[in-house]
Amino acid sequence: MTHHRLKLSDVDKSYGSIQVLHGVSLALAAGEVHGLLGENGAGKSTLLNVMCGVVRSDAGTVEIDGMQVTINSPADAAQAGIAMIHQELQQVPELTVAQNIFLGASRRKGGLFVDKKAQEAEARDLLSTLDPTIDVTAQVRDLRVAQRQIVEIAKALRANARVIAMDEPTSSLTPAEFERLVEVIEKLTARGVSIIYVSHKMDEVYRLCSSATILRDGRFVTRVDIPSTPLPQVIEFMVGRELAHAHHNSFATDEVMMQVSGLTRGTAVRGVDLTLHKGEVLGIAGLVGSGRTELLRLIAGVDVADAGEVSIEGQPVAGNSPRTRIRAGLGLVPEERKRDGIVSHRPITANIGLPAMRQFSRAGVIRKHKLHRRSEELMREVNLRPLDVTRPIGSFSGGNQQKAIIGRWLAAGTQIYLFDEPTRGIDVGAKAEIYDLIETLAHSGCGVLVVSSEMAEVIRLSDRVLVMREGQIAADLSAEDINEANIARHAIPGA
Amino acid sequence: MNNILTKLPFVSNVRFRDAGTLVGLLLIALVFSILSPSFLTMPNIGNILQQSSINACIALGMTLVIISGGIDLSVGPVAALSATLGAAMMVAGVPVPIAMLGAIAVGVSCGFVNGALIAWGGLQPFIVTLGGLSLYRALALIYTGGTPIFGIPSEFRSIANGAVMGVPTPVIIVAILALIAWVVLTKTPLGEYLMAVGGNPEAARVAGVPVSLTKISAYMISGALASIASLILIGRLGAAEPTLGNLWELDAIAASAIGGASLMGGRGSIVGTLLGCVILGALRNGLTLLNVQAFYQLLATGIIIIVAMLIDRATSGK
Repeated sequence: MTHHRLKLSDVDKSYGSIQVLHGVSLALAAGEVHGLLGENGAGKSTLLNVMCGVVRSDAGTVEIDGMQVTINSPADAAQAGIAMIHQELQQVPELTVAQNIFLGASRRKGGLFVDKKAQEAEARDLLSTLDPTIDVTAQVRDLRVAQRQIVEIAKALRANARVIAMDEPTSSLTPAEFERLVEVIEKLTARGVSIIYVSHKMDEVYRLCSSATILRDGRFVTRVDIPSTPLPQVIEFMVGRELAHAHHNSFATDEVMMQVSGLTRGTAVRGVDLTLHKGEVLGIAGLVGSGRTELLRLIAGVDVADAGEVSIEGQPVAGNSPRTRIRAGLGLVPEERKRDGIVSHRPITANIGLPAMRQFSRAGVIRKHKLHRRSEELMREVNLRPLDVTRPIGSFSGGNQQKAIIGRWLAAGTQIYLFDEPTRGIDVGAKAEIYDLIETLAHSGCGVLVVSSEMAEVIRLSDRVLVMREGQIAADLSAEDINEANIARHAIPGA
Repeated sequence: MNNILTKLPFVSNVRFRDAGTLVGLLLIALVFSILSPSFLTMPNIGNILQQSSINACIALGMTLVIISGGIDLSVGPVAALSATLGAAMMVAGVPVPIAMLGAIAVGVSCGFVNGALIAWGGLQPFIVTLGGLSLYRALALIYTGGTPIFGIPSEFRSIANGAVMGVPTPVIIVAILALIAWVVLTKTPLGEYLMAVGGNPEAARVAGVPVSLTKISAYMISGALASIASLILIGRLGAAEPTLGNLWELDAIAASAIGGASLMGGRGSIVGTLLGCVILGALRNGLTLLNVQAFYQLLATGIIIIVAMLIDRATSGK
């Protein structure tokens, strides 16, 4: 009988009195790409952490090639041949590629000195099949995210990993880089390495995986074969209900709300003009690096423009700090929530109140009850779960954090919402809620700019789509011109 | 258990971490009261509070600075500079209230310089205030020629040495300042801004928090409190030495840390810091009552700081 490459059986895990995994099982064959699917909070991360020895399970067994192993520490996992590529890569940016590959396992010369030459030769050898263009003596911080990911994979191979778990590996990759990753994964599986692929992006899962395990609320739901199981069914397994059909409603008017002219910063954004109308959802598509995020940051006053102007309702906005822009009615919902969005150990109330402290204060003292009441009201509207505004925002899932950030601007009376990748790292269920919220904003007469790398999202949400290419607006699409082929044609340089 | 505790009305109002610091203080008090009968008497408690008041005054400002994600190593020399200038004004015949305001203005100015270099100049707080530590001390020494200033008017001295209903004035002054600091931190926009700037400066900026002004305010408050502490000291001593305030920054940082302030920024509590000051004060007082040599007092202080951090680490992980 053939053994599974990796088999987890009946894994239980509790944190305090909260059980997050209930008898979860997962099995995969050698050389297989296996999806691990579920909404945020379904227990995927905990299961990965158990597998990699970051947390200890309360019950359950782990078998590698039919042999039972005990994994109590990351070192045990490495010993068993399990490696993990984290969403946020765990590298030392100041060290070279070779040094990172051999981090914690350096090749020694005479037992004392690091043998740089040997490490670099070995690193070059590992990378030759994965991506020979990566210079092993370059500092990791000078590499692009996609390259850093490959370095991490090389590190896993250096440790003789037989199972590599990838957590949202494409969250910051361009479509071309994703293709490159697909090639790398094919090379790995050809060597017999098994991949556990965690992603919210279903098109990727269908492209790469041959099977998948679906979790919901910490429980094993089912194991499905892919692609023979249709997508709607997989999604139903994940969320436990059918999602309402995505339908675009338009509330756009002809009334000009914001006008941006000649906005420029270095080579990232070059002379961008755009007009946003009342009630309009204006999508901004384009490749990563085409200047979309940079454009939003300029409009929001987070970065300072070299040239150009932003006018709201005909009035040029004075000042170029986020503070002055917020006063003018702008609010940024940033892509990197953890870095630019939340103050993680502060309660939801404090995170909501930050831009509007004056409004919640009397005689210089914050009226905590008013802030609390208003926060609770807003969070009920956006369906925060659990509805406890005194809890630190960092203890909520990504989708709920996003709802709180939207609530922050609702509280501040923001008129123009700037969304940068509004559903990045957010699960399928919350995603639909965020879409509904954006639609509600437009309905109430706000203007909305949405930057997104997900074509489906841009198409679903936008009344009009601007396609950016190399820092400039390459196309302005509306109505039936909004489709994937059109967007891609304008987004890709030289296409 | 955590859940049950926070359901109790008292505990839900007083933060959990502060309750821990209070338990620490009670334990220390218990041990000393067993070892020395005079420890838990009203006069001695008054002594402890009085001895802790100067450190508490400094530590209040330090806590705000630490919460904002910074550190202020220059408090001792700022105190010395404002004390000597304030004393000189008094000796020269400037009315006492004006001289006091002058001294505080010196402290606020030093804090502004620190804060501006950090917030607008983009320099690291540790380095800026380390520079300030030498700079302000040098200014105090140069101005006085290294000799103390005597002849501080008695009307000023009587403020610092007085008592209201048996409570020493310095204790009352610091208690009022602590109340103000507590209100600022927990009830005003500035307090929220300090927490946000220390917790995540970039997110705070995107959310419209005036990050630079918030940081500068923290250093200015710290400077003001350093001046007030020095005024209390020279009032008690009757002389302003340019060398006063040596190592004050370390006691203040220790008290803040014992009280739960995180040197990473974004966390800290006024109540905790006050309790931290009283813990340090009670420890020194108790050991002195027991005739323990000064060297061992230093040893005990070091142990308390590290034990407090270990307990913090062990309990916050869960």
